[in-house]
Amino acid sequence: MVSKTEESLLRQLENQVENGGGGAWEYLSLVRKLKLRRSDKVLKHGLILLNDPKKRSALGPDEWTLYEQVAIAALDCQCLDVGKDCIKVLQKKFPDSKRVGRLEAMLLEAKGSWAEAEKAYTSLLEDNALDQVISMRRVAMAKARGDILGAIDWLNKYLEIFMADHDAWRELAEIYLSLQMYKQAAFCYEELILAQPTIPLHHLAYADVLYTIGGLENLQTAKKYYASTIELTGGKNTRALYGVCLCTSAIAQLTKGKNNEDKEISKLAAAALEKDYKQISPDKVSLLGSALKTMKLQ
Amino acid sequence: MSNGGDCRYVIHQNAYIKLVLHALNHKTSAVNGVLLGRLSGEVVEITESVPLFHSSQIGLLPPLEIALITIEEYYSSQGLSIVGYFHANERFDDLELGSVARNIADHIHRYFPQSAVLLLDNRKLGALRNKKDAAPIMQLYTRDSSKSWKQVESTGTSRLTTKEPSANIVLLDFISSNKWSDIVDFDDHLDDISKDWLNSGLFK
Repeated sequence: MVSKTEESLLRQLENQVENGGGGAWEYLSLVRKLKLRRSDKVLKHGLILLNDPKKRSALGPDEWTLYEQVAIAALDCQCLDVGKDCIKVLQKKFPDSKRVGRLEAMLLEAKGSWAEAEKAYTSLLEDNALDQVISMRRVAMAKARGDILGAIDWLNKYLEIFMADHDAWRELAEIYLSLQMYKQAAFCYEELILAQPTIPLHHLAYADVLYTIGGLENLQTAKKYYASTIELTGGKNTRALYGVCLCTSAIAQLTKGKNNEDKEISKLAAAALEKDYKQISPDKVSLLGSALKTMKLQ
Repeated sequence: MSNGGDCRYVIHQNAYIKLVLHALNHKTSAVNGVLLGRLSGEVVEITESVPLFHSSQIGLLPPLEIALITIEEYYSSQGLSIVGYFHANERFDDLELGSVARNIADHIHRYFPQSAVLLLDNRKLGALRNKKDAAPIMQLYTRDSSKSWKQVESTGTSRLTTKEPSANIVLLDFISSNKWSDIVDFDDHLDDISKDWLNSGLFK
């Protein structure tokens, strides 16, 4: 997960690099640090650095990290020759390296040679059963082949060992969502909220899933989690503000207005939305007004 | 007519291009969008489109409901209604209309009984540069009396066409100039309400 400051720094560097303003190494390092998927840009600017012998030697030992980063980006963009070349360079420098072995297996994956890639990963895991990245590759391969149930299986096995990997829990939740297995997705978000109770994104996602499942109790709980998201984000999360309004409207519809639901919070949320739109997106204020009216009338 | 059984669907260039550019802007995830237009006799004219979401939480109701309420509100004042749904799968070789897409399509069907579902055909998108084809690079699905979405085979006269015959040429032009990076969808708007999901400046 990327913070807002990191995101604006990234965008700034990206613009700079794309418009010939230099800073390629800073950009590539930031992408690596934040573990983002910007393969087309990484490939383009990484290759420029690598193909310039002066710039390459200026990197010192980081040169090899760049070869690895560009190799992976090349595989992602299906530029298999570039990937192969980078991997060859690394093989020469680090023979018998497990890390390079992993790249070789990823090349097999990119080629679609699934069985060979599977063999490569299995043998790599024999020597190091607790390698997280390789275990994750199994999940990625299953997903890429369209074997979603297999991906779930591998991911669950992975989480039994690495249960503190929050990204993995999020990935599992998202896979469940793609299969409309909402209760299972909700369970994942519950784990995430327990592990990281102050991360608003987990509260928001949980609320979204509960609302999607539906039913009075879930709607009431969803409303609570939208509220906690609003609290954790200082009222700045548009989705949570909308969420509170949706919940109030849906609950009123379900109970035909016959309950003592707290409408105060949705009035506050609506007011906050109106204030934000007036300030930031004034041409859409009247549209917001009619949308909120539709929800109250429902 | 109570279903899309015999309708033809004509999609305007801008609506068509916007949807494909949206998919290209988010190559690593599924994307979807809403089709807007009107019924003229036996032809459904798709005159506009709004790109909706690209996050991996595409199947969740709250953002979808907000989007549909807002979009319907905006376009009904222009005499247009929601007439269909666009979906592009996450994986390159996945040409199936999955359950999430079908569910959202059912939701949209309630707005408009002759609604169409358009699924991006990645192979055709990839082949576009080499094969000069005027046919839209999407598969058409309509809902029959069995209440399930069935693909309409494009044999003989196609039931899905672009209004402007050169739409694919214009699309290729936009692709080569990386126009897809300018597309704003509803997800972007919810993350930053200064972003305009109407994409009003896109084709100027």
